[in-house]
Amino acid sequence: MIGRMDAIRVESLVKEYGKVRALDRASVSIAQGELFFLLGASGCGKTTLLRCIAGLETPMSGRVFYEGKDVTQLPTHKREAAMVFQSYALWPHMNVAQNIAFGLEERKVEKDEIASRVEEALERVYLEGYGDRRIDQMSGGQQQRVALARALVVKPKCLLLDEPLSNLDAKLRLEMRSEIRRIVKENDLTGVYVTHDQEEALSMADRLAVLDAGKIIQTGTPQEIYRSPRSAYVAGFMGETNLIEATVDSMVWDGDELDVRVSSLVGQFHGQVTQRNWRPQEGTKVLVSIRPESLIVDHSGIPINRVTGQVASKMYLGRNVRYQIKDAGGYLWNMMETNPHVMRNEGDPVVLTADPSDVMVMKVEEH
Amino acid sequence: MMSKSSAYSITTVVVLIFGVFFVYPVAMTLAVAFQNEAGDFTLAYLLAVFKNPLYVEGLWNSLMMGVCSTAASLLIAFPLALASRRWLFPGKKILILLILAPLMLPPFVGAVGVQQILGVSGSLNSLMINVGMMNASEPVDWLGESRFGGVILMNALHLYPILYINIAATLAHLDPAMEEAAQNLGCSPWRRFQKITLPLCMPGVFAGSAIVFIWSFTELGVPLVFDYTRVASVQVYDGIKDLNQNPMPYALVAMMLVISATVFAVSKVVLGRTGLGTAPRPQTHSGEVALSGWRGWLVSAGFISVFLIASVPHLGVVLLSVTGDWYGSILPESMTMAHYNEALGHPLVVPSIKNSLIYASGSTLIDLILGAAIAWVVVRSRIRGRVFLDAVMMLPLAVPGLVLAFGYMAITQKGEPLHGLVGDTYNPLYLLIAAYAVRRLPYVVRAAVAGLQQSNLTLEEAARSLGATPLRALRRVAVPLIGGHLVAGGILAFAFAVLEVSDSLILAQQAEHYPITKAIYTLLSTLGNGHELASALGVWAMVFLGISITGAVVIVGKKGAGIFRI
Repeated sequence: MIGRMDAIRVESLVKEYGKVRALDRASVSIAQGELFFLLGASGCGKTTLLRCIAGLETPMSGRVFYEGKDVTQLPTHKREAAMVFQSYALWPHMNVAQNIAFGLEERKVEKDEIASRVEEALERVYLEGYGDRRIDQMSGGQQQRVALARALVVKPKCLLLDEPLSNLDAKLRLEMRSEIRRIVKENDLTGVYVTHDQEEALSMADRLAVLDAGKIIQTGTPQEIYRSPRSAYVAGFMGETNLIEATVDSMVWDGDELDVRVSSLVGQFHGQVTQRNWRPQEGTKVLVSIRPESLIVDHSGIPINRVTGQVASKMYLGRNVRYQIKDAGGYLWNMMETNPHVMRNEGDPVVLTADPSDVMVMKVEEH
Repeated sequence: MMSKSSAYSITTVVVLIFGVFFVYPVAMTLAVAFQNEAGDFTLAYLLAVFKNPLYVEGLWNSLMMGVCSTAASLLIAFPLALASRRWLFPGKKILILLILAPLMLPPFVGAVGVQQILGVSGSLNSLMINVGMMNASEPVDWLGESRFGGVILMNALHLYPILYINIAATLAHLDPAMEEAAQNLGCSPWRRFQKITLPLCMPGVFAGSAIVFIWSFTELGVPLVFDYTRVASVQVYDGIKDLNQNPMPYALVAMMLVISATVFAVSKVVLGRTGLGTAPRPQTHSGEVALSGWRGWLVSAGFISVFLIASVPHLGVVLLSVTGDWYGSILPESMTMAHYNEALGHPLVVPSIKNSLIYASGSTLIDLILGAAIAWVVVRSRIRGRVFLDAVMMLPLAVPGLVLAFGYMAITQKGEPLHGLVGDTYNPLYLLIAAYAVRRLPYVVRAAVAGLQQSNLTLEEAARSLGATPLRALRRVAVPLIGGHLVAGGILAFAFAVLEVSDSLILAQQAEHYPITKAIYTLLSTLGNGHELASALGVWAMVFLGISITGAVVIVGKKGAGIFRI
């Protein structure tokens, strides 16, 4: 993305509803042509942020820029950002073609051109010949695509999507994921996509921002966010993790990686700091996070990153099996084995270990 | 789920009652209008109506009265509904209830008050003369020479809440994203209103307009009080005196029925065609914008002024009821409570209150029983024709009270099989109870259906799976959920029964059977202090209604509003 300017830049947005702070100094930069995700639990402010970008909400302070131009006070219809709504918001008093033509009519495009562009838009979402249908004659997935076509036909610079797949069933949702990504990429659009589904975000996003309580708490590529969450909240929100408290013993530079050694009730761990601009001191209380899939059964006797315990419960899921391992301190560790050949039974003793690059050392957050 | 056999037996009973007290009388009215003495079909009477220039003028004026009242109601209701949907403003919760109140103020009583205020020698002129804005020798008649303006004003101020409720309900079901999507695609606010908001709230406009039109097209009380005699409703009323052998009023009534039913049918067809029922329900955020500072207060002021203007006529009534002497001055020159005492001593007053109470309670009781039973069949049974039953129960909305009253007169003439209902003394007790009950049944059915739909069957099943017997489940889960709706529907049915004019005026012929409305009307035409006595009785009625309505609002809050939607 180097060399391309920011398509959208948001600076320190604040929005309050009554006493609730929906956005708390949220800042984000989105590059031209990027599919950017806003991810968070419900009520975290992600939709409010998208609506501020769309111009459907006015922030109390902070600014929104499109290609370097301040659009904070510009009403939505003067921004070149078409939105796809969670409820689709298709107008029931117009048929499919009329819905799609709407934005073109508002832009005073000539009639012949409208007709051909509507056709083209229908083709692009595989709905050729559906122009005369009433909205209530379309299935949920088809309505979704009409909503997408209606936004795309005006050739916006940005496409804003507010949980566009949340009303579809699971199978359709998977199909539409790659559909939407294809459309954004083929048209070289800048996409901003709001979702609470971390799998959706991981599988589709170029980059994503995780929000909590109106704040953007981490921005990065899917891999960065998943592998190096900077806080326990992000680690927990982006999939499962095992969290234990520990105290820092020492820090050792291993090449350009800082190896942090900590000890806990369970034993010693070597791991890495994921939070930028933060170096723990010796004796600092920290949190250690290890994802279930990073834990492997290992009886070789290496003393670091070792957890000994017994199988407390198991859950067979076909392609993998999940275990809860109870360590000596009574803490339950989640772990999984993929393509399991042997089944462990409850009470079986196991020794687990994890590679130091999979062990994340994080600040203890005060909530 | 109710058993099929009980569903069918309820349906049979309801259909029988409905047949005898609704279909049969309406059919009889039509029969008298379209049958000659030999019993053959004829259009002669109908043609005679159109040959009589007085009747043609009356029908035309009625149409104008309906159209103008509806248009005026729309002008008041639409901006209010839009504002309450779009903005948050100070006092909104109370104000959106307050502007519904005028529906409960008896308009023909208000008409007495409005003359006192807007008449040639009324308060407004006196005020303007006092402050020097008007020449005392050339006072303006604000109500217009023919009183047409006054009739429209009273109708609109009385009926706009019905439109408001319908439009507001449609808007509330509208996904705010519908409007935002248009805005986002390049629509300016004004074009968005034209292309999205307006077409999408047309179902509410049509539904409400149909009710308001039929109501005002056949309005009898208001034109009577204004002495605006050249409308079909008043001509029909005056025609009763020589009714027995004259088919002309019947033909005129039949004409009114045809027009009302057509309007009702057209509104249904238009509603059916829009296909808006499947529109997605609104998402979590309401789309309401909080108006800050003076903007918010400005909107609140708008709501308050509508309420104040709508209650000015009734304020006039209250003043008139305590007036010693009031002519050509802003406020009464002396106050007295004497009219209240005098009214209580008047031979018409106390019996009329008693009669109204009996008629209204009887009809409300019937409505509650029938309404609950019908709703149960419609929502909880799977019998064929339950949708049809629901639709049929709405038909009384299409039939003006005048038509029903004429039908009742026709079926209880001497020699007719139902003559026994009135007896030789023509006691209207059963007829009035039936008339009130039939005409307000749609509202009670709507209320009960809405309540029952809200109480999902699975809620009761959950109670039963936890060990409650069907009856206990009904008592502990269903009744608390729908009871409020039913009570609200009942109280409104009661209030409307007390306020009912056309059936009351036509069917109650002897003074000892008069309900309140007819007593007020009779007092108005008595010489001397008739106006003041009528006002005093009107105030009693309003206080009485005020208490019942407040009760309804307290019990169910805004939910009760749903029953005015067709």
